[in-house]
Amino acid sequence: MAVILVLDDVLDAVVLTRKILERKGHVVHCFTEEEEAIAFAGNNPVDLAILDIKLKKMSGIQVLEELKAVAPDIRAIMLTGYPTVETAKEAVELGASEYCVKPIDKWELEQKVGRVLAL
Amino acid sequence: MQPDTDRTARGFLAVYEEITRLISMVHDPKMVMELVVARLPDLLAVDAATIRLLDRNSGSFVLKAARGVSAEYLARTNIDSQEVMAALRQGVPRSTTDLESALDQESLAIIRREGVKSVLSVPVLFQQEVIGVLRLLTRETREFVDSEITFVMSLAAQMGIAITNSRIFQEMERQVHFLGELREISRLVNSTLDLDQIIGAIVDKLPEVMAVMGCTVRLLHPATNRLQLVAASGLSQSYLERGSIKGEDSIFKVLKGEPVAIYDATTDPRVDFHQAIRDEGIKSILAVPITDGSEVIGVLRLLTREHRSFSDSEISFAMAVAEEGGSAIQKARTYRQITLLFNQIEEQERFLSNILDCIRPQLLVVDRNRRVVMANRAFLLANGRSEEEVLGMEYSHFCSDGDEADSCPVDQVLASKKMATSLQQVDREGISRSYERAATPMLNGDGEVEFVIEVIRDVTAQRRLETEQARRNKLEGVVELAGTVAHEINTPLFAALGNAQLLELDLEEDEQVEEVRTIIRNLKAIADLTAKMATMTGYTTRDYVGNTRIVDLD
Repeated sequence: MAVILVLDDVLDAVVLTRKILERKGHVVHCFTEEEEAIAFAGNNPVDLAILDIKLKKMSGIQVLEELKAVAPDIRAIMLTGYPTVETAKEAVELGASEYCVKPIDKWELEQKVGRVLAL
Repeated sequence: MQPDTDRTARGFLAVYEEITRLISMVHDPKMVMELVVARLPDLLAVDAATIRLLDRNSGSFVLKAARGVSAEYLARTNIDSQEVMAALRQGVPRSTTDLESALDQESLAIIRREGVKSVLSVPVLFQQEVIGVLRLLTRETREFVDSEITFVMSLAAQMGIAITNSRIFQEMERQVHFLGELREISRLVNSTLDLDQIIGAIVDKLPEVMAVMGCTVRLLHPATNRLQLVAASGLSQSYLERGSIKGEDSIFKVLKGEPVAIYDATTDPRVDFHQAIRDEGIKSILAVPITDGSEVIGVLRLLTREHRSFSDSEISFAMAVAEEGGSAIQKARTYRQITLLFNQIEEQERFLSNILDCIRPQLLVVDRNRRVVMANRAFLLANGRSEEEVLGMEYSHFCSDGDEADSCPVDQVLASKKMATSLQQVDREGISRSYERAATPMLNGDGEVEFVIEVIRDVTAQRRLETEQARRNKLEGVVELAGTVAHEINTPLFAALGNAQLLELDLEEDEQVEEVRTIIRNLKAIADLTAKMATMTGYTTRDYVGNTRIVDLD
C-alpha cells in the first residue's frame, strides 16, 4: 500500500484515478489546485505523485520540480493529453519515472503504478 | 692755288663718284660699310677708317666696319671724348689733333699704342637724323680742312642714304621672308591640336628662322597663374634650371603685353642671373608676350650668341609667331579639356552601365514615344536580343497587347505621370513565371514625362516562397488545432473510458456488460484518432461532401 498524490485540472480525471488506485489498496489524495498539492506533499509523506502536464496555473513539470524540492524521494508519473518531446525530456530530467499519454487504459495505469512503486 | 683746288675738287669728285657707284651696286648695309672703310683710306690718304651705327635700343654706337686699326683699339670702351661724342650726336663733325686731352687713361694708352694722331669724326645722317659715325684716322698729325670735312660729311650722308636704303631693302626682304615663315609656322601650329607638338614646333622652328641660339616658351598655368617653362631649344639644362625669373622686370613688362629687346643681357638690369647668362654664352634677348586675343598667356624668349639689335620687323615677326602660337595653344588646351571631359563622361557612362548590368532585375528605359533608349544586360539576356536590336524598338515588343490590360505599367505612367506597378504571369515552354513590373517617370523641367524607367523583377521564387509560407502557416494552424483538440478531448476521454472500464467490472448482467464494452470500444476508437491528431506533422485532405474537404487522418 502506498500514499499517492493525484493532480489534474479536471476533477473527473482525478476522481477516476482515485477509484482505480483505491481498488488496488492505495491511499489516494486528489487535488485540482497546484498549491494545495505542493503544500500537502511538503507536510505529508507521499510515495508517488501522478501529475497532469496541463494544469490551471503551472505546468505539471513545474509542480514536479516543486515537489522534488520539498520531498526529494517522491516518485512521479506524468500524464498528458498532448505529448511533446520537450515536456517528456524535462519530465525525465526532473526524475519522473513514467510519461503516459491520456486516455490511459485502467489496466495500463495499474501496471505502471505498480512498476514505479516497486522501483 | 687754283690748279690745286681744282685738282682737289676733281679728286673729291672722283672719290664721290667711285663710292656712289660702288654703294649703289649693293643692297647689304654691311657690304656698303665694308666698301666705304676699304676704299676711303686710299682715296683720302688716311691710315684707317671706322663706321659705327647707332643702336636705338641702347643709344650707343656699335662698330660695324673698320680698316687699318687693331682689334684692341676697336675694343676700347670710350670711342672719343664726351665733347666730341656730344657734337656728333648733334650732327656736328669734329676734327681732332689733340687726343691727349679729355680722354681717360685707358683710352689714351690704347691710342698711343695704336699711334693715332689725328681723327676726323663725322656723323652719318639720314633725313637730319644721326644714324652713325664715320671716323677717319691718321698716324701723322693732320689738320682736316673745311673742304675735306664738307666732302666727308657729304660722303657720310651719301653712305647714310645707301645704308638706310639697303636697310629698307633688307628689311623688306626680311619681311617677305618672315611672312613666308609665319605662314609656315602658322600652318604647323594649326595643323595639330596636340599642345606639345604646337609648342615644340615654335621652339624648333623659330630659332632657325630668326638665326638665334635658343628659344624658351613659358606659359601661365591656368589654375595658379604662375609661369611654367614648357619647352626650350638650344639651351643647357643647367641654364634652364638657373632659378625663377618671375621677378624679372622684363617678364613683368612682357606679361603686360610689351615686347622687351635686351642688347646686352649679361649686364642689363631687366634680367636676373647675369652669371648664368654669361656662362651660357647668351648676349642678347628678345622677350615677347604669347597672347590669345587680348589675354597674355605666356612668354616667348629668343636668345642670341652675338650682341644683336632686334629690328622692328624681327620684333613684329616674333610677336606674330607668339600670337599665332598663343591662339593655337589655347585651342589645344580647350581641345584637351574637352577631350578630358569626354573621357570623364565616357568613364561615367561605362561606370553607370556596369552598375546597371550588375543589377539582377531587368531594367528598361523608354522615351515618351514608347521607344527603347536603354536596356541592361539582364533585360537583353531575358529577351534573347542584342543591345543594337533592342534600342529604338517599340515598347509593345516587350509588353505585348496579349498581356492583361494593366500589366504594362509604362502606359499607365505616360498617362498618369505617376509610378505604376503590375504583376505579369508569363508561360514559356510549360513553365509559368511571375514578373513584377515597376515603372517610374523621369520628368523634364516642364513636368512632362521625358522617359519611363521600368524595372522588371522575376518574382517567381518569391511567389513560390510566399505560397509555401502560407501553406506552412496553414499546416501549423492545423497541427496546433489537432494538438489542442487532442489535449482537450483526451482528459475527458480518460475520465469516460476509465469509468466505463470500472463499470464493466462492476456490472453483472451480460447485456449491460456488452453495452458498456461497446462504449469502451468507441471511446478507444476516439482515443486512436486523438493519438493520430496529437502526433501529426503534416496532412493531406480528402473529399467530404460537395466542395468541402477534410483532413485525412489515415
